[in-house]
Amino acid sequence: MSKGVLVDLTKCIGCGSCSVACKMWNALPYSQITQQQGSNLDADTWTVINRAEVKKDNEPVWRFIKYQCLHCDEPACVSACFSKALKKTKEGPVVYDVNLCVGCRYCMLACPFNIPKYEWDKAFPEVRKCQMCANRVYNGDSPACVSVCPAGALTYGDHKTMLAIAREKINGDGDYVKHIFGEKEAGGTSWLYISDIPFEKLGFRTNVTTKPLPEYTESIMGLTPAVGLSWGALLTGMYVYNRRRNEIAKEKEKPGKK
Amino acid sequence: MYDHVKEDKQQLDKQVTRRSFLKMMGGLSLAGITIGLTGCSNTTTVAEQAGGDGWLPQQYQARGNWPAQVRGRVPIDPDNPSIVRDDQKCILCGQCMEVCTRVQTVAGHYGLPMADDIICVNCGQCTLWCPTGAITERDETQKVAQAINDPNKHVIVQTAPATRVALGEEFGLPPGTWVVGQQVAALKRLGFDAVFDTNFTADLTIMEEATELIKRVTGEIKAPLPQFTSCSPGWVKFCEYYYPDLLPHMSSCKSPQQMLGAVAKTYYAKVKNIKPESIVSVSIMPCTAKKFEAQRPEMNDSAHYWHNKDLQDVDVVLTTRELARLIKQQNIDLSKLPEENYDPIMGEGTGGAIIFGATGGVMEAAVRSAYFLITKQQPPADLFNLTPVRYLEGVKEAAVEVPGVGTVKVAVCHGLSNARQVLDTVRAGNAPWHFVEFMSCPGGCINGGGQPRSSVPPSDEIRMARINSLYQADAQAPRRASHENSEILAIYEKFLQHPMSELSEELLHTSYTDRGKKINALTS
Ligand code: SF4
Ligand code: SF4
Ligand code: SF4
Ligand code: SF4
Repeated sequence: MSKGVLVDLTKCIGCGSCSVACKMWNALPYSQITQQQGSNLDADTWTVINRAEVKKDNEPVWRFIKYQCLHCDEPACVSACFSKALKKTKEGPVVYDVNLCVGCRYCMLACPFNIPKYEWDKAFPEVRKCQMCANRVYNGDSPACVSVCPAGALTYGDHKTMLAIAREKINGDGDYVKHIFGEKEAGGTSWLYISDIPFEKLGFRTNVTTKPLPEYTESIMGLTPAVGLSWGALLTGMYVYNRRRNEIAKEKEKPGKK
Repeated sequence: MYDHVKEDKQQLDKQVTRRSFLKMMGGLSLAGITIGLTGCSNTTTVAEQAGGDGWLPQQYQARGNWPAQVRGRVPIDPDNPSIVRDDQKCILCGQCMEVCTRVQTVAGHYGLPMADDIICVNCGQCTLWCPTGAITERDETQKVAQAINDPNKHVIVQTAPATRVALGEEFGLPPGTWVVGQQVAALKRLGFDAVFDTNFTADLTIMEEATELIKRVTGEIKAPLPQFTSCSPGWVKFCEYYYPDLLPHMSSCKSPQQMLGAVAKTYYAKVKNIKPESIVSVSIMPCTAKKFEAQRPEMNDSAHYWHNKDLQDVDVVLTTRELARLIKQQNIDLSKLPEENYDPIMGEGTGGAIIFGATGGVMEAAVRSAYFLITKQQPPADLFNLTPVRYLEGVKEAAVEVPGVGTVKVAVCHGLSNARQVLDTVRAGNAPWHFVEFMSCPGGCINGGGQPRSSVPPSDEIRMARINSLYQADAQAPRRASHENSEILAIYEKFLQHPMSELSEELLHTSYTDRGKKINALTS
């Protein structure tokens, strides 16, 4: 039975327990603070909380948005991966085998949500991302992040049930927008979101096609490794350039806010 | 058997070669070509891993395990002025959530979705419960060190009543050790230009607050009874969030920290002929909420007084723990220092001020002086040992006979879950009291969120050691009622004129902010 997680954005308090749980379970090193504006995923940070400062009924409100792989039903990343390192399991998680990953970064380009990250600083870099705690899921547990959420923002269960709960919530309470993010986006995803603020105001990519993405990617990405190599070199170069630029920006910002 | 391994290895090498080659090319600008292929030599299960049901990436072959039971934690705004958290140290034990929800009744006591504020009263109790020290005070020791090193700055410091019975614990002394003189000596060695006692303004607070109470009782001020004490900034913010309808009960008096800040940049600056803008006002507090209080925008009455908008009454607040850090950085051993005295003209404090640091102490001190202010007579002996309001019971009550007024009923509570009981009674209109003392932290300031973490979570044993030390000092104090403080008499004579004078109102009193809009109603 395919599993899913329902994220109720109206319940998230921005505590970041989920992002720490992810690090603890997956034994990832700590690389950044993960519950403020502009936090982003990286190779060692598979889920973050972003703060969106928006208006609701003309009053300022903060919403916290948990961000991680959505585990697409028909993942573009999987079809882009020529070495078959990525795989959609029937239980829901989209997982990868680090030993098969050749580091071509096709998946990064294919993913409509900009999820897979690359270990840029390593000699043998691999692509990394949330795997929905596949081993926990197979053993009947919820993903690590879900298991620690103190506010009831994350619910785990059968994908069908999650969809039903989401429908019931948005239809029963006029405060929610009538949109379940992930029901149709990218052909459907294991993770679903509901919210009282329109998703586009919270930085969600709402213009992704509702057609399963592999239909596009296979034609674009079914390329030879040779092309992959030049992509790789180009992206690495971009990374080094950007990192230096960020460092310079950070140095200028010092000493930070009072 | 060995052949088998060898065969596997050969097979592996073939795959590895191709993979590694691609990888190396992919990471070209970062990886040295000579690194070779050894990085992949542990991939003996590649063949088995590919394909098949239940396929798992290698790092998921083993079930992970948590170091302990894991639970959610409190949210902390990265801009919180009082506390910060190091995610690297957090083990998701949930202790912070426990204290915040159950002891302080802050987390979990507001409805979701949230407004535009991460609800926190800045009490810092979570810093005392966090087993790994992941949550700490926001460290501002460097600001102080910089000010001291600036020859153009006149850096003054005040120390709260409760730090003198806890600072020693950071230097290996038993809990509750009285180190008032050593603390002054350490501050002088750190290079502060003048060391003042917050007890001085604790006495000043009593003069103002008792006067206000009398005016409320006689109807001279149109404000409801019971009057609430206002010296605990965590408690004040809690009331602003959860009981804004009861803010008219809140005494308009500033806390002793803020009173000292205001008179330092006015009275002291004038008497000593020091430019107020050159004064850097530092305070040493047992409390993380004091950092928030000092930053409240309305806490700038010296700015109004001098028509200089850049002045803030208190510039930097350090917790007891931060002071200990500063002292240790200078390799000073507090326990070996001689005792030194606070500096005039704001260095004297009475026994009544000393006990501000313990739950019930503000009430006891206020009763002593209110009795005098009403009757013009010295209070009877039992008012110097008001045991019903002392020690650790959550909500305490007492009734005091005052000639000419009758029975004055008072209540005392500490820890915000206890405050809710009292507040709900007041809200329901059933409160028999004239005056209620509230302290945010269980035990009062001696167990404030900035105190040494001598037991984690805090124990009653350590609370009692610190409390007993304060009452002992009160019992031995030459003057035990605030109205007897000679420097207080002097400041009224030379500067403020009398309690609640126009100038006193301007410098020593404040107003509050309704934060009810930040709290959405709980729906179950
Ligand atoms: S969100 Fe991106 S990385 Fe995750 S399954 Fe979909 S395409 Fe792959
Ligand atoms: S643990 Fe839950 S409440 Fe906390 S940040 Fe994550 S989703 Fe939000
Ligand atoms: S400082 Fe107090 S109110 Fe704020 S999170 Fe910690 S315990 Fe809760
Ligand atoms: S008490 Fe400390 S270690 Fe425990 S969950 Fe809270 S921040 Fe993390």
